Amino acid sequence: MSTQNQTSIEEKLKSVLKKVLDINESEIVPAAKLDDSLGIDSTEMVEIVVVLKKELGIQLTDNELKKTHSFDEIAAILKSKI
Amino acid sequence: MNKIAITGLGIISPSGIDKRTFWSNVSHGRSAVEKIERFDASKYPSHIAGHVHELDAYSNVSSRLLKKIDLFSHMALVASELSLADAQIDLSKEDLKRVGIFMGNAIGGWLYAETELRDLYTEGREGVSPFMASAWFPAAPQGQISIHYGIKGFSKTVVSDRASSLMAIAYAARTIQDGKADLILAGGMEAPVTPYALLCCNTSGVLSRRNSQPKIAYSPFDKNRDGLAIAEGAGVLILEPQVLLAKTKKKIYANIIGYGSTTDGVDRISPSKDSLQLARAIAIALKDAQLEPKDIDYICADGAGTLLGDITETKAIKQVFGEYAYKIPVSAPKSVFGNMLGASGALDVATTVLAMEHSMVPPTINYQTPDPECDLDYCPNKAQSKEIKNALVINRGRGGINCVLALQKN
Repeated sequence: MSTQNQTSIEEKLKSVLKKVLDINESEIVPAAKLDDSLGIDSTEMVEIVVVLKKELGIQLTDNELKKTHSFDEIAAILKSKI
Repeated sequence: MNKIAITGLGIISPSGIDKRTFWSNVSHGRSAVEKIERFDASKYPSHIAGHVHELDAYSNVSSRLLKKIDLFSHMALVASELSLADAQIDLSKEDLKRVGIFMGNAIGGWLYAETELRDLYTEGREGVSPFMASAWFPAAPQGQISIHYGIKGFSKTVVSDRASSLMAIAYAARTIQDGKADLILAGGMEAPVTPYALLCCNTSGVLSRRNSQPKIAYSPFDKNRDGLAIAEGAGVLILEPQVLLAKTKKKIYANIIGYGSTTDGVDRISPSKDSLQLARAIAIALKDAQLEPKDIDYICADGAGTLLGDITETKAIKQVFGEYAYKIPVSAPKSVFGNMLGASGALDVATTVLAMEHSMVPPTINYQTPDPECDLDYCPNKAQSKEIKNALVINRGRGGINCVLALQKN
């Protein structure tokens, strides 16, 4: 995969998190767990899965995406699915 | 029952959000009922309502949370914050296991539900927000309040049509009396100004169709009444055991001192024509409060504004009070801002304690033509100056639910 595509995935993931959680980009800490850094709850995780499928066409299962994952870990999972 | 003190008021209403504006508008009888323009309601037989206009100006709810909740939860959260501030209570300093929430609601969060159901049938399963499950149901506001403050005590949501929040307040008072809580946020919230909720309210057949004159449409006890006008809003009261406050200087608006509730068991919509069960609920509340009929200075009426509703309510009051009924002002201040359905009781109690505070009976507005079958003093169109020590609040739900709460000035 090209560097450009990888950057694009991260930008798209940021865009999804901003949209679903109504947060600023500066609140996203790449290496921190989402529940610690953003106070994310399980229903918000479900919405993130739905929006990722809509906007990136990538289907994740419940087990693949957890609120204890970090932004970087989720980006890596998405990249592995392309 | 033991005295349960009301120490805080949080009001979200078409007549205003802060209690001073609310009381000024209600006591002056300035109607807040308007034509519905939030969506195209022009084809509905009744398309008038009381709308809340300034909620955002008072709201500290985050935009992230607003996406997950319905309007009725939003109003409940703001009303809770206002009531706690009014009672000067910082919940972070309280034992949250001894704090409860008792809310009443009749129809749930339909603005959220309708939108998501539309998406379900147009976009399929994946079009529906995962928050739908926790946003629409009647106990959602109770849940949101408990999450926001970390409240851990015994709590409950009461669904009992237009008597929901009065019943919730009564159960909250009982819960404190039974020693199960030291502080309760009690009241209700309703958001019926949505396409589907308005349709359901219309099919119940109790709404006024005077759409061309919304401000004079809701006219309880008037001979030409043709039903109620719905309204959105919320009311939350802070309840505490009066005995614990007796030696403090804390402001107590009034005390809850009695409650009575019965059911007619006659029809799914209309009240019983004989009024016997509503009269019995009034008598039970008086006995519970250890009051005689002549002790009552004011009755805040249900004031449905329907032919049967007004006549049977009047008849029940006369059955209990006899000739003294003609000496008690009986008013329906909700005629000013509209009928908040499940939240009505909370606003009626708030209005009554403000009436006690100001020594003034709020009016029944739009009263023009006397009805021979409704011949009490309804405090028509203009507030009356009067010292109010003891008062009753009456709420009735469809299907013959009768609730009566007795209040006493501290």
